[in-house]
Amino acid sequence: MILNSQTTLKAPHKNKSFQCIRQVTLACLVSLSFSSIGQSVEDDQNTVSVDLPASSHSEPAKAFPSDSAHGWLEKMSYAHSNLNYSISFVLLKPGVDSQPYLWRHGVSVSGVKMEQLNLLNGPGREVVRIDDKVSYFEPNVPPYSLQSRVINGPFPSEFFQQPDEIKDSYDFVMVGRSRVSGRAAQQIRIVSKDKSRFGMNVWLDQETGLMLKMNLVDLNGQLLEQIQVTACHVTEQPDDFFEKIEPAMLPEVLKLRPQTHTKAIWDIAYMPVGMVEVKRDIHRLPITGQSVEYVMLSDGLVDVSIYMRESQNDGINQDILLRHESDTLLTLNQGRLNVTVVGKLPPETANHIASSIHLATN
Amino acid sequence: MTQKIENLSALVDGELHDEQLLDAIKNDAELADKWQSYHLIRDSLRKEMASQINVDIAANVAAALALEPAILAPKKTWRDLPLVGSVVPFAKQGGQMAIAASVAVAMIIGVQQYNQTDVEQPFNSAPALLGIQGGLSPVSLEQTRTLPRADASEQRRVINAYLNDHKQQLRFKAAPAEGESEVELYDTEQSNNVESTSQK
Repeated sequence: MILNSQTTLKAPHKNKSFQCIRQVTLACLVSLSFSSIGQSVEDDQNTVSVDLPASSHSEPAKAFPSDSAHGWLEKMSYAHSNLNYSISFVLLKPGVDSQPYLWRHGVSVSGVKMEQLNLLNGPGREVVRIDDKVSYFEPNVPPYSLQSRVINGPFPSEFFQQPDEIKDSYDFVMVGRSRVSGRAAQQIRIVSKDKSRFGMNVWLDQETGLMLKMNLVDLNGQLLEQIQVTACHVTEQPDDFFEKIEPAMLPEVLKLRPQTHTKAIWDIAYMPVGMVEVKRDIHRLPITGQSVEYVMLSDGLVDVSIYMRESQNDGINQDILLRHESDTLLTLNQGRLNVTVVGKLPPETANHIASSIHLATN
Repeated sequence: MTQKIENLSALVDGELHDEQLLDAIKNDAELADKWQSYHLIRDSLRKEMASQINVDIAANVAAALALEPAILAPKKTWRDLPLVGSVVPFAKQGGQMAIAASVAVAMIIGVQQYNQTDVEQPFNSAPALLGIQGGLSPVSLEQTRTLPRADASEQRRVINAYLNDHKQQLRFKAAPAEGESEVELYDTEQSNNVESTSQK
């Protein structure tokens, strides 16, 4: 956040109206920024030295069965939404510089759950969640809030909160114990039931149940994306940072446009096991302004976007398959229909979904 | 033998470390077989199996090699000359060349595109009220096929649009839409790029 506001000052402004908004933002942030300066410096050091002190004063641990993968995931979910912790982790993706993050969570005396995620490199990006309000502070964009209980970040927040949601789509397998980030860890493998989606390996702290490492792997076990925790502190009280936040000063919640409920023109005949349609509308794409019929599929772990429009002679009338970081983008043309599938999916599955789309019969 | 097999099972599970047993496996075909099948069983229990399993091709390869007539002095051809030999025949290279060229084209277009944002402004027809995410990096094209040059720029723009929109949709997924519409969401990725390049 400190970095964020500094950049805001330095950044050359071409747009005056933005400047005003930024000044307001800055005013909101100043109180937060100053207080957290000392804090971030300490955290940086922790990121370097792998330092995981035993969390002796964590809450009296709830008992979870330690002999099943399911029990472990319940323990993880409980830990992530009820403990006060501060975790430093590094996100690794192919072809991209590593990204260090600070992730803090706290439960206030009145039971309000608070969460903060901060990208530590570059101009910074910060997300703060107070109960069901998530505020995003990002460079070059006025800050805004969304009404939501999950942070949209580099890890699957929904999975941490409700791992049960994905049990129809994935098998959980206990693999074994190993040492991760200097701690004893239990490895759990998460594999899609129909082998249609990427798998995940998570290593959970034996004592607290917090995530220590997370690998996204393709169907042949090749690593696609990795989160490696470098420091993890569990404390009795929530971090001081959360006290400094004044909920009233956070940006206002955005009112999103209501979905345009349309009669479905296109039918998706194939969906991977456990995937459901969570959203359908018609909207315009950024950059090009094209209007597309949009469908989002989700299984609670992976979200897939499907775009459908009429084929036009505008440069994307060929079939395309490419990988952007761990996202697959596939465009298929079937007669009049141009389908694009984007998401963390194996190309075969994307192809299967795209080629199953046909005109709705009624 | 039973004892050995039991020990072998323990060894595969990582519960035992026994040099003697390792030697025994090396010299005993039956134990070596067991060793392999135990690993296969373990992998499938842990769901570590590759999507395609190649069960023991080593034996087949060994058999094929044994049948192969021994060539004592291979005839020299021009390809064995030190310099010529290292040159891949041009025809063979074709596929790789095409891919490399298309990536290079894409990269150059990427840079040009950043500097040309003014030209593209009309597409953001409404005032950019809100950008969604800050750091979408330029698409690294692992292109599976070559693109005609003229289309590549437009195609790249469309691909970027899809990737951007996908990220936006993920962020707004959890937020419920409300009755009134006050804010229209437009992406300011283009202006981000301008700023980030000017900062460099």
